[in-house]
Amino acid sequence: MNHVVGSVNDTIVAADRITRVFPMPAGPVVAVRDVTLSIAPGEHIAIRGPSGCGKSTLLHMLGCVDAPSSGSLVFEGHDVAGLNDRARSLLRLRHIGFVFQRFFLLPMLTAAENVELPQAEAGVPAHARRRRSRELLEYVGLGARADHRPSQLSGGEMQRVAIARALANRPRLLLADEPTGELDQATGEHVAALLDRVNADGTALVVVTHDPVLAGRARRVLTMRDGRIEGEVRQ
Amino acid sequence: MMAPLAFAWRALVRQPARSTLAVLGVAAVGALLLDMLLLSEGLVLSMRELLDRMGFDVRVTAGDTLPGAGPEIADATAASAAIGALPGVRSVTAIRSEAADLHHRDRQADAAFIGVSGTPRVWTILRGRDPAGRGELVLNQYAAETLRLVPGAVVTVRAYCGDDDAAPPPVEFRVAGVAELPFDTPEAASAATFLGDLEEACGTPGAGRADFLAVTSTGDAAAAAAAITAARADLRAFTNDQLIGRVQQGGFTYFRQISTVLATITITFALLLITVLLTVSVNQRLGEIAALRALGFSQRRVVLDVLCEAALIVGTGGALSLPLGLVLAVWLDGILKRMPGIPTEMHFFVLEPQAFVVHGLLLAATALVAAAYPMRIVARLPIAATLRNEVIS
Repeated sequence: MNHVVGSVNDTIVAADRITRVFPMPAGPVVAVRDVTLSIAPGEHIAIRGPSGCGKSTLLHMLGCVDAPSSGSLVFEGHDVAGLNDRARSLLRLRHIGFVFQRFFLLPMLTAAENVELPQAEAGVPAHARRRRSRELLEYVGLGARADHRPSQLSGGEMQRVAIARALANRPRLLLADEPTGELDQATGEHVAALLDRVNADGTALVVVTHDPVLAGRARRVLTMRDGRIEGEVRQ
Repeated sequence: MMAPLAFAWRALVRQPARSTLAVLGVAAVGALLLDMLLLSEGLVLSMRELLDRMGFDVRVTAGDTLPGAGPEIADATAASAAIGALPGVRSVTAIRSEAADLHHRDRQADAAFIGVSGTPRVWTILRGRDPAGRGELVLNQYAAETLRLVPGAVVTVRAYCGDDDAAPPPVEFRVAGVAELPFDTPEAASAATFLGDLEEACGTPGAGRADFLAVTSTGDAAAAAAAITAARADLRAFTNDQLIGRVQQGGFTYFRQISTVLATITITFALLLITVLLTVSVNQRLGEIAALRALGFSQRRVVLDVLCEAALIVGTGGALSLPLGLVLAVWLDGILKRMPGIPTEMHFFVLEPQAFVVHGLLLAATALVAAAYPMRIVARLPIAATLRNEVIS
């Protein structure tokens, strides 16, 4: 990957006045407008705001699955705009973990196999990725369910497997989009606690959520409205 | 487990009904495709095998037509002697065919009556022996059964050798044996004897006429044919290859055209079937695919997964199509051979390695083309928009 423009150690991702515009038949829609944000290693950030305020779009840009229409985004020293699709895929594979509201586990694979997937794509040898998958499933409290398929797991268990999968390649940044959105309150609490533990163990965490309780666990809480960061609270 | 092929296998097993339907569809289409490929060259190959099996590699005719379809060679005896003296020629057999009535007691059969000169014989003895002297003939199995004749019995032959209805007096022949004659058709009687005996039965002894001459070269059929044409400019000499070429230019091209049209239709059907099933399958998994891309799976990898699914469907269906196609070919061959005038030894469907190679290549190309559209969907999948849409939906 080329386009190294910043230090690798002090910031994982730095967004400078990034804007995302979606062309629509009725006219362009500005989903994210002039957002400047940097995420340091080990940070715990929550992004909250009403539906349609641009939280997920911002998260997708920070995770390099979407590109800003303008502004600059630097991930671990690499100008993301200068990376081709393959380089971005590699960057996501090795440095970023994603947790989705709807889990997106592959139903034909067991929990352990789902956790192995990103490792296999990264070229980790079979014995090493099996060991890592078992460790991660133990870490999320599902060691006994390693051979179960998603259809045999509860919603909370599926999200815990998804978190284990996101951690498979030891990312520096974990992005979670409404991770408790499909879970009941008690199960959501367990998942939130697990995410806290992941962060405490050194992985920077950005959570997009409607849930004020989940947002309240973060040390930085960004509030978005109409595509802008309206406020930031450090706690 | 994680290799694209194994991953694709898991994806197919996940939807067993749909995958089974796809594999069965490809198996049926593949079987039809194989049969069309066998049919396109079957008659030509069968004809070639039949010509080769008779032991001659050059045919000489009086006109520019296929042997037996044009004018007679009026001086067949002299022509045989002249051609037989050529250095590249091992043997010459004059062959003439006429119509005849065969009678035995109260039984009668219309028959093809064939006269041949010299050796090798054009028939294969099944029972009894070759005619050893004058007044002997061989019958085919159908004639022997119809007239209830066995070797040693006597049969009366009334030959019809001219264009008029006047027939020479009947002649008695002794049945030397029962034989399989080339180009025999089912439920048609045939008898064969020496050319001289046929001429006597025709009432024209020593006529020395033949429909064509069958020649065995010393090894180089093309050189022998060229030498014959040079020696007798009034005759046409065809190697077996040239004869097959003429056959291919003639009526047999219909089968190739029909099989080409049907093969194209079956491949198109397979394309649509696989494309639709893969597209539906991919569309149902867009969220999962987008999630995999977000987790770092490359575009190449997710495209390869779809291609592997197509390859597995077509590969499994194609493998099943081979026995299915062969069974179907035997059945269809039996039906087509019931057409009148088709020699017993001729087949419409003939197994040949090239047909299997083409079958495999066509199916592989089908898999590739059928996967093109779903692969394009996956390759161009907007990750962020898909993840957003999945949540909204």
